Amino acid sequence: MAFIVEYFVPLMFIGLLVFLLSGFPVAFALAATGLLFGTIGMEAGLFHSTLFQALPLRLFGIMQNDTLLAIPFFTLMGIILQKSGMAEDLLESIGQVFGPLRGGLALAVVMVGALLAATTGVVAASVIAMGLISLPIMLRYGYNRAIAAGTITASGTLAQAIPPSLVLIVMADQLGRSVGDMYAGAMIPAFMLVGLYVLFIVGVAVFKPDWVPALPPEARIYREPNGSSGQMSLWLLSAGSWGIGALLFLNYDSLAVSLFGRTGDAPFDERAIFTLSVIGITALVLAIVNKKLKLGLLSVLAERVTFALIPPLVLIFLVLGTIFLGVATPTEGGAMGAVGALIMALSRRQLSMVLLKEALDNSARLSCFVLFILIGSTVFSFTFNAADGHIWVEHLFDKLPGGQIGFLVFVNLLVFILGMFIDFFEIAFIVIPILAPVADKMDINLIWFGVIIAMNLQTSFLTPPFGFALFYLRSVAARTAYKDTVTGKQIEPLTTPQIYKGAIAFIILQVIMVAVLIMYPGLVTGSLDEKVKVDLNTIELDAGSSSWGDQPALPDPAAAPSDPAADPAAALMEEMRREGKR
Amino acid sequence: MQLLLGLSRLIDAFSERLGKLIYWLVLLAVVISAGNAVVRKVFNTGSNAFLEIQWYLFSAVFLLGAGYVFLKNAHVRIDFISNRLSPRARNIIDIVGILLILWPFCILFIELSWPIFTRAWVSGEMSQNAGGLIRWPVFLLMPVGFALLMLQGVSELIKRFAFLAGLIPDPIGHNPHSPEEEVLSYEIEEHAGRAREEQR
Repeated sequence: MAFIVEYFVPLMFIGLLVFLLSGFPVAFALAATGLLFGTIGMEAGLFHSTLFQALPLRLFGIMQNDTLLAIPFFTLMGIILQKSGMAEDLLESIGQVFGPLRGGLALAVVMVGALLAATTGVVAASVIAMGLISLPIMLRYGYNRAIAAGTITASGTLAQAIPPSLVLIVMADQLGRSVGDMYAGAMIPAFMLVGLYVLFIVGVAVFKPDWVPALPPEARIYREPNGSSGQMSLWLLSAGSWGIGALLFLNYDSLAVSLFGRTGDAPFDERAIFTLSVIGITALVLAIVNKKLKLGLLSVLAERVTFALIPPLVLIFLVLGTIFLGVATPTEGGAMGAVGALIMALSRRQLSMVLLKEALDNSARLSCFVLFILIGSTVFSFTFNAADGHIWVEHLFDKLPGGQIGFLVFVNLLVFILGMFIDFFEIAFIVIPILAPVADKMDINLIWFGVIIAMNLQTSFLTPPFGFALFYLRSVAARTAYKDTVTGKQIEPLTTPQIYKGAIAFIILQVIMVAVLIMYPGLVTGSLDEKVKVDLNTIELDAGSSSWGDQPALPDPAAAPSDPAADPAAALMEEMRREGKR
Repeated sequence: MQLLLGLSRLIDAFSERLGKLIYWLVLLAVVISAGNAVVRKVFNTGSNAFLEIQWYLFSAVFLLGAGYVFLKNAHVRIDFISNRLSPRARNIIDIVGILLILWPFCILFIELSWPIFTRAWVSGEMSQNAGGLIRWPVFLLMPVGFALLMLQGVSELIKRFAFLAGLIPDPIGHNPHSPEEEVLSYEIEEHAGRAREEQR
């Protein structure tokens, strides 16, 4: 018994490992560890015999959690979008724009990946669409296979790093921070990552031109009656729209005063989102006028690109725009996005009853298994905290050199390695609650911490042996040699080692990004308002959790962790008003 | 054994029906949530009842859906070791897991949450928030959800034993890497089909 008491926490970790690796569902394995060790602890006299009394309250806390409600919303949105043909349109039209450039097709893939990522938070959709549409074209015109595969898988995983992503939502929840702040903090790092990808491809185009050849003229789909490519018209259209956008961007503050009666400097993200929306709308209006009046001023290419870009821009506005403008909470933003996606799919006649049911079924299943992992991990951390496990973990890091940086480097290595084997949901729910209190104690800004981890978790989609993005691409790429329908050439299959090899370069880029974020916290915290630092009412993560085990409160539902305000609707309205005036 | 397998089929059918029913709640929650934001912005008013119904619905989805998700074998497993075991060994692990892990877990939660429900039922407890909803339905979801999960456990247990007895094919034989992937395999097929058509 003395042995058990002495080594309770490490034994608990070993128990967890055994249960998890048994292959029994993670949710139940986590709960089992908590329950088993809780019982052992009671027998050994470590805990009060009423230890588990407060568990239903914890469950009730999870049920009341608005943040996690965003999970089914974004999943639903992602699945509907995937079927709506939006990704296909984007790939085709943007591919046509950049294709004639060296490396252009790869750039188009990165851009479409980023656009899709900003609309929804689901990885699979983009990888599959790109694997089916862009990959065959890249292989047809002699792209280096590893580069082609790497660009597609890495661009698909951008969905995890760019808001609104499920990873960021879950991180915000686990770190006890607001999703809005998490999104704001992830914005610049996400743009930088996309920039890194672009730089890399440009670099390849310069130094290894034959790895990323330009598309020959015969690969053009859209052609003007006079045989020209129509590029000129597109550039003029975009120059016009961007010009209007730039004017707006520069004069935003004065316009905002007259339009919304707002005073003071608008935050960058809000300005950017607003400007982008206006650019999109300008281009759309021009394109529609041109089409309806049959002016013939725009080329086919310009028209197609405009029409392909509108749906994602509208959706980005619906989701991120409403969140940053203070119209909707992040959860409601997800719901708006889902409604938007449904309407879009309906209007394109791509929404059937079968598809809707399928999408709802998937969303419900995903939320159920994710929430059950959370329930399981709550049971686990319940016993863990009662045994003062968090203190044990803190002591582990006492000996680690390097203070904050040392801790972050260690945590990121751990997450990176775990990411090779397990899913980000498991990492977020098992590892983060154990490490977050330590990070908080070391005075690490938790938004910064969360964004770093989210960026790192993104690599877990790319790292063999269990990189989901790699699986997705594998499942749609040809396994046997096939005859290309356009050129009639025999095309060799894309091999699995090629897919793995292609991912490596992008994994390195992501690791660089994580390192940069660790070195320059300002990249994350710079875009947050000062209020973040004094936001005490959101720190609920470790408050009370250690004392609950020893002297459990009687399960009094009235005392359930609920909002301190008695009128959340009014509080929310006030909050949104403040956000809007910010 | 045939009788038990019949029972298992009955439970499966029930879980399936229930699962197909509750996923509509997701759509309902989406509409309500988006509506809340729009109403707040446009009419400058909000209702606590409508804020609360969102998580009532969501709780119903994940609690009542637990059994259905178990039926679909969609609770994630870390399976890179168990995938190397024989189907027999995997089924035995599941049997042990259902008996020693799943059931005690469910029983404990049912036992602990039932009194919360009965108390709220008797007292007619309301949400503390102005205009909030009555509480007992959402408290009731807890014991009912775990009971449904336990019930599905009965069916799964029967199927595992039936497999060991050689009566049915491996119930967890086709073990996709993750539920997401299972979902995908369907979509990939569909996409591939469409792509093939386009090529022709």
